[in-house]
Amino acid sequence: MDFDPIPYNLQYATGSWLRLVGVLAAFAVALGALGSIMSAGSTGRIFSNGLLGYLKDIVTISPRRVFAIMKLTLKEAWRRKALLVFVVFAMLLMFAGWFITDQNDRAELQLNVHITFMLTTISWLILPVVMFLSCWGLPEDIRIRSLHTVVTKPVRRIEVVLGRMLGFVSMSSVILLVMGVAGYIWITRQAPESLADSSDSDRRSFLTCRVPVYGNLYFLNRLGLPSNAGINVGDPWLHRSFVEGNSRSRAVWVFPQVTEDTLLPDKDGNVLHLESRFEAFRTVKGSSESMSEGLEAQFTLVSDAREDAFSSFGVGPGFREIGEALRAGEFQSAAELLDTAAQRMRDTPDDFPAADCEQVTISCIRQVVPVLDYLGEDLADVAQAFGEFGEASAAVVLAGDDRDSKMPGMADACSRLATAVREGGPIMMELMPSLEVPLEPFRVAEYHNGEEENLKKYPRTLTYAANYEGTARFLTSTFRELEKEGKLFAGDQPADDLLTILEDDYNVSPINAELVLDVLSDQLEDGTVVVNSDKATFKQDDGNWLGLFTRLVREEKLISQDPAGWVLEADLFDDLARNGLLRVEVSCLDDQMYLGMARPDLFIRLPDRPFWVGYGKALLNIGLMLGLVVVLGVTASCVVKGPVSFFFTLAVFVIGQAFHPMMMRIIEGNEAGNGMVESAIMIFQHRNPNSGIDAKSSTQAMVERVDNAAGTMLSGASSIIPDFSIFSQASTYIGNGFDVPWSTSILPALMTFIGFFVPCVLIGAACLKFRELEAK
Amino acid sequence: MSEQENVIEIRNLSKVYRDFWGRKKVQAVKSLSLDVRKGEVFGLLGPNGSGKTTTIKMLLGLLFPTSGEISILGKKASDVAKNERIGYLPEESYLYRFLNADETLDFYGRLFNLSNEDRVRRADELIKMVGLNNARRRQLKEYSKGMTRRIGLAQALINDPELVLLDEPTSGLDPIGTREMKDLILNLKEQGKTVVLCSHQLADVQDVSDRIAVLFQGELKLMGDVDQLLELREETEIRTGNLSDAAIAEVEEVLKKHGMSSSDIKKPRVDLEELFLRTVRESGERPGRRFTAEEMAATQTKGDSEETTEDPAS
Repeated sequence: MDFDPIPYNLQYATGSWLRLVGVLAAFAVALGALGSIMSAGSTGRIFSNGLLGYLKDIVTISPRRVFAIMKLTLKEAWRRKALLVFVVFAMLLMFAGWFITDQNDRAELQLNVHITFMLTTISWLILPVVMFLSCWGLPEDIRIRSLHTVVTKPVRRIEVVLGRMLGFVSMSSVILLVMGVAGYIWITRQAPESLADSSDSDRRSFLTCRVPVYGNLYFLNRLGLPSNAGINVGDPWLHRSFVEGNSRSRAVWVFPQVTEDTLLPDKDGNVLHLESRFEAFRTVKGSSESMSEGLEAQFTLVSDAREDAFSSFGVGPGFREIGEALRAGEFQSAAELLDTAAQRMRDTPDDFPAADCEQVTISCIRQVVPVLDYLGEDLADVAQAFGEFGEASAAVVLAGDDRDSKMPGMADACSRLATAVREGGPIMMELMPSLEVPLEPFRVAEYHNGEEENLKKYPRTLTYAANYEGTARFLTSTFRELEKEGKLFAGDQPADDLLTILEDDYNVSPINAELVLDVLSDQLEDGTVVVNSDKATFKQDDGNWLGLFTRLVREEKLISQDPAGWVLEADLFDDLARNGLLRVEVSCLDDQMYLGMARPDLFIRLPDRPFWVGYGKALLNIGLMLGLVVVLGVTASCVVKGPVSFFFTLAVFVIGQAFHPMMMRIIEGNEAGNGMVESAIMIFQHRNPNSGIDAKSSTQAMVERVDNAAGTMLSGASSIIPDFSIFSQASTYIGNGFDVPWSTSILPALMTFIGFFVPCVLIGAACLKFRELEAK
Repeated sequence: MSEQENVIEIRNLSKVYRDFWGRKKVQAVKSLSLDVRKGEVFGLLGPNGSGKTTTIKMLLGLLFPTSGEISILGKKASDVAKNERIGYLPEESYLYRFLNADETLDFYGRLFNLSNEDRVRRADELIKMVGLNNARRRQLKEYSKGMTRRIGLAQALINDPELVLLDEPTSGLDPIGTREMKDLILNLKEQGKTVVLCSHQLADVQDVSDRIAVLFQGELKLMGDVDQLLELREETEIRTGNLSDAAIAEVEEVLKKHGMSSSDIKKPRVDLEELFLRTVRESGERPGRRFTAEEMAATQTKGDSEETTEDPAS
């Protein structure tokens, strides 16, 4: 897809909505009170009576009366021949096939054209009917005074507004449903055109809704260090970032909540489906293979080793949040928490009991510091800060009754650790010991032709050629296990059957197993490893099995003589995604070539949903859009006459549909050319949008102030004008063969509708209640 | 009657219509104060533009008073709950023309939250009462003006109201319909309901009203019991059977003896409404026959209590 689906933040949206509605309500009440006092000249009794009556109307709404008015509205639409729109629709369906067939030779694009055509046709046919009826309904009732016989019954004005809105929404829903069913039949019979002679099952395989699980994306640069974006290959409008071929540059996706349920059944058992669509950028012609079959890319699955490093950090309540942030890799957040903790150590030292300080001492000195030392000189500062903090904590524990005198020292160490974590955190995350499982390279199909060549399937147990790190970690875990079971040594020598055990139980190739035995024997001879009652002890430098094998790997004593290398097995969940997070790194293997990627370009594919499910959701979004148009139309018609109401609603729709995204880009500063006045001047001066205006600093300052003021107004307008583009996203999903997701499409559409429905009903009811229907 | 029995109380009510800029356009009602008692038929009279309809609309909350106070059934005019007990027939029947009679009454019945059974029963009764039984399935856009008034009246009575406000109730009705409307108003009165009717058809108001108020240019000019207001205290009217010329001469002698110098002794005349109603009624009995003036005169003594045509629409 060419857009990035961003999950809807319901909590933030609700908070913003409450603030905005609260401000508007307060403003309306103040304005009403002022107007009432000015016109009636009283102390506001009329206003308070009116307000109380209005609130009473709201709480005494009768659903039966609302239903009666809704039914009347439906009947009115039916008898006024609003449903003639079906005739136009039928005519379009009869002849549309002539004009949209054979436009594309690829089945998926044909399908996209058919689906987009159908959903757009349905929207644009119903929209004018709904807009016209909703804008003219109430004003016409008032004009011919039929509303008078209604409101002289015990009918609250809010019931009239609600009944009208629900009536028009029901009418549009009925039309939408009928057209939707007809459209579904048309799509399934017509598309894809190129498979017209194929079997129904072949055609149906295209009509599906893929369900993706998206991860978060960041990049590693040429040096292997983290960065928010990859390389820009020169197109400023491109939303993809590129990784350089044959370098340490990688795109890193972290997928959350990867569990066994994520796997899909396949003929060889359950497998993980990874689907991708990358874009190639070539600086040279390359090989014939790379031209015809696409660039070569590789997935590498990487374990997240932060759990190892911080597993016991901050068990006590005083440090628990800090530990959680470190384990989650949220180093900025951890640094802030450390700063806060430092301040609390100075202000309320009792928050940090001796038991907590002891835990921190243990985690820093015994665990974190060795891990950081292992990472090398890059993180020496961080390691030192952890060490200092651990020592300061130990001092607090040891001081006993005099602990308060040691707390300032601990607070200072905590502040230094905060700085170290803030600066070194992201680097630390990349350098943490981790298990890397490189998967088989593949050719990137740049032009998806409907076959599933960009869908890769991986079983739970992965076989891979280990790198140095992987080899050391594998041998460490193997030797720890064998030592624990007492199978490693016989006396002070390796056990006789160790070779067989390695080959049979751990699938180590004979060549590699012999190599390990030789190396172990050498270490025993050198005295690096000493056996003491079937337990190995190490020299101080090696410390443990991991330290020993890491040193041996670095000294290249464990280089495999087997042509296949160290072929090992890793379990997707036990070894890689232990905490539910799966990290997938994507690299380009072709030299001087670049692969472009954006967040939606790689996803885990869950079981597909039937096409009608996604199609139904797209119709639901269209229904919500029509509903919002009705709500705006009816509200406007409570204040002004039909034609004015119609053009008002049309204007809001056009702005909301075409310009709202641009408004948001301007407000957020993402639109080239800066502010409105500045842009206008740059156009006049024929200047590049990035260069700024050619004017004195005082003029620039003034332009900036005007632009800021305009930006504030624009921000207000963007809150009041609904973003209609939200409703059309569903068509893009379904057109591209994806299911319409709840969190990024349906929920925002639903909340936008509700967010406008509630205040519009209240505004419409107030306008109708406080206006004289018979005013001359 | 005591104050507690007033159904409507209006005190110093004024209404000024203003233009868009708030400038005074016209004062439709000026310091109006009046009461309507429970169970009476109250006529609000006045020429066009005298403020009758404005007053009614302020009573119903369709217009807001510029000043003054209104109490209707013990509640404020702005209180929607009062409408539960009110029936209103507007000046013209502003109904939904795409509905038929049954649907119209069903819709308005729903607005009163009447149960399904009540709605069906009331609609049936009212449609028969206003003589639209044969046209109940036709959309209102096909109705004549008189038929529209009838269905308008039916919707005003769907909730069996305590207070009925009728704005120009006989407007657009033929004489038969007018008579029926008047009979209905009297019937409502017999049921203990209060009726306020607003009209410039003076004869109609005179026939049914207990009390009247006359408005002119927004001001109350006259108010009181119809009988007292219309009574001519300086004259005496004697009606009797047919007298011979000799008998008439003798009566004149008697009058002279009592000092009545001029007297007007003549054959009384039936009014045109009565004549029309009898003609139509007789036509119903003997279709196609034409009546002479003599025959009509002969029917003058026939009972006023006889029923009028059952289905005037036909």
